Amino acid sequence: MNFDEIVLIIVALLSVFELGRVLIGPTIYDRMLGFAVFSSKVIVTAVIIGTINERTFFLDIALIYGVLGFISTIMLSRFVERRGDI
Amino acid sequence: MSQWITLAGNIIIIIGLVFMTLGVLGIYRFNDYFSRILITSKVDTVGFLTIMVGFIIKHGLDFFSGKIVLIVALYMITNPIATHAITRSAHISGYRIKKER
Repeated sequence: MNFDEIVLIIVALLSVFELGRVLIGPTIYDRMLGFAVFSSKVIVTAVIIGTINERTFFLDIALIYGVLGFISTIMLSRFVERRGDI
Repeated sequence: MSQWITLAGNIIIIIGLVFMTLGVLGIYRFNDYFSRILITSKVDTVGFLTIMVGFIIKHGLDFFSGKIVLIVALYMITNPIATHAITRSAHISGYRIKKER
């Protein structure tokens, strides 16, 4: 259990706590906020796994996930803002 | 020398973890949406940046940490825009700040 694996476990736990806000959130926007921050923690987790296993394709996964998370957040907020007709 | 570098990287990663934990704490603590997103997006971005810088320092300078710099640059650009988009949709569809009771 070297240092990176402990960091990985802590970040994974933090990302699970983010989902608590997605469940509790009174408004839609809390849920979108929880999702956006959860996707940032998934990026950190992917990068940490990449550094542990010394595999560079994990960084590409993190990059693509970052872009897709951003696009999904923009589309979700447009969907909610325009009540259905994007 | 390399032992000092990994120690410095570990300390920076620990600081980043503290920021990230504060970000998670901030998402539960506030009773109104706007104050919640204000705190969370800022503190979480700082935590993300600090952890990535810690890993770059620990890993030295090569293409691997170059990709991490690219991810950090992407995230620094997209996260403010994403949180702004969410807050803008909240404001436009009529969500107003609740008055302090």
